[in-house]
Amino acid sequence: MILAAVFYLFAFILLLSGFLVITARNPVHSVLFLILAFFNAAGLFVLLGAEFIAMILVIVYVGAVAVLFLFVVMMLDIDFAHLRKGAMQYVPLGLLVGVILLTELVISVSAWQFNSLSQQNLAVPEIGLNAATNTQALGAVLYTQYVYAFQLAGLILLVAMIGAIVLTHRVRPGVRKQSIESQNARRPEEAMEILKVQSGAGIS
Amino acid sequence: MFNETILIEYLPILIFIVLALGISGAAVIGSLLVAKQKPDPDKNAAYECGFDAFSDTRGKFDVRFYLVTLLFIIFDLEIAFLFPWAISLKDIGMFGFWSMMAFLGVLTVGFIYEWKKGALDWE
Repeated sequence: MILAAVFYLFAFILLLSGFLVITARNPVHSVLFLILAFFNAAGLFVLLGAEFIAMILVIVYVGAVAVLFLFVVMMLDIDFAHLRKGAMQYVPLGLLVGVILLTELVISVSAWQFNSLSQQNLAVPEIGLNAATNTQALGAVLYTQYVYAFQLAGLILLVAMIGAIVLTHRVRPGVRKQSIESQNARRPEEAMEILKVQSGAGIS
Repeated sequence: MFNETILIEYLPILIFIVLALGISGAAVIGSLLVAKQKPDPDKNAAYECGFDAFSDTRGKFDVRFYLVTLLFIIFDLEIAFLFPWAISLKDIGMFGFWSMMAFLGVLTVGFIYEWKKGALDWE
C-alpha cells in the first residue's frame, strides 16, 4: 500500500519533471528539472531493489552529467527566445516526421514477438538476489566472469578521456605559466644583487 | 517485490523526504498566502547595486570548464567501478584483483596523457 503510494509519487514527479525539461523556457530550469527527474528515477530504482544503480545514478548523473549539461547550457550563450521565433513554421514538417516515426514504432512493436527462450535468461540471475546485497552480487561476477566487458569499459573511458583532451584542449601561445622547476632552481646569487649605495649618489 | 526488508531500511529517508517536501512547501505556500503581494516593475527588476543591469546573466563560459567536467566524469565512473570490487574482493581472488589493476592501469595511461598534455593546468 505505502509502497504503491511511494511508487506513484516518484513516477508522477518523474514524468512531470521530464515534461517540464522540454517545456521550460529557461534552459537552466530545464537542467534543474532534469536533475529532479534523475533523483526520482533513483527513487524508483530503490523501490525495485536496485540500490547500487540508484546510488550510481545519483553520483554519476546528478553529480557529473547534470553539471556537464549545465556547462553546455552556460557555454552556448544562445538567445533561446530569438531561436524560437521562427520555430512555428516548422510545425507541419515536425508533425509529419513525428507521425511517420510513431507509425513505424507501432508497426514494429506490434509485430514483435519475444523468443520463448529469452524468458529463461531473465528468470535465472547469476546470484540469488536474496543471498547478497546488490553491490556484492555485482562485484562477484563483474571482475571475473565479465572481465572482457569490464576491460572494454576501461578502454572506452580511456578513449573518452583522450577524445575530450584532443577536442577541447588548446595550448595558448604567449601565456605565462607557473614553472615550479625554474622557481626552485633560482638561487639568490642570480636573482638579486647587493649594491653599496653612497648616500646622495643614487643608482645608475 | 523480491524482498521488502531492504525497503524498510530506506524508511527514514522516505520520512525525511516527506518532511522536507512538507516544510519547504509550507514555506513557499505560506508566504504566498500570508504576505501581501503587490508586485511592480521596480520590485521585480534585477537588483544590481543601483545600476541598470549591464547584460544578460548568461555570459559565455570558457570551454576549459567543460574539459575539467569531462575528465571529472571519467574518474567518477572509474570510482563507481571500484565500489563493488572493494566489497567483493575477498571472494573474487587474485584474478579479480589483477583485473581491476589492469583497468586502473589503462586509466592511468590516460591520466599520464592528460597530465603531460597540460590539460590539468589552468594557465
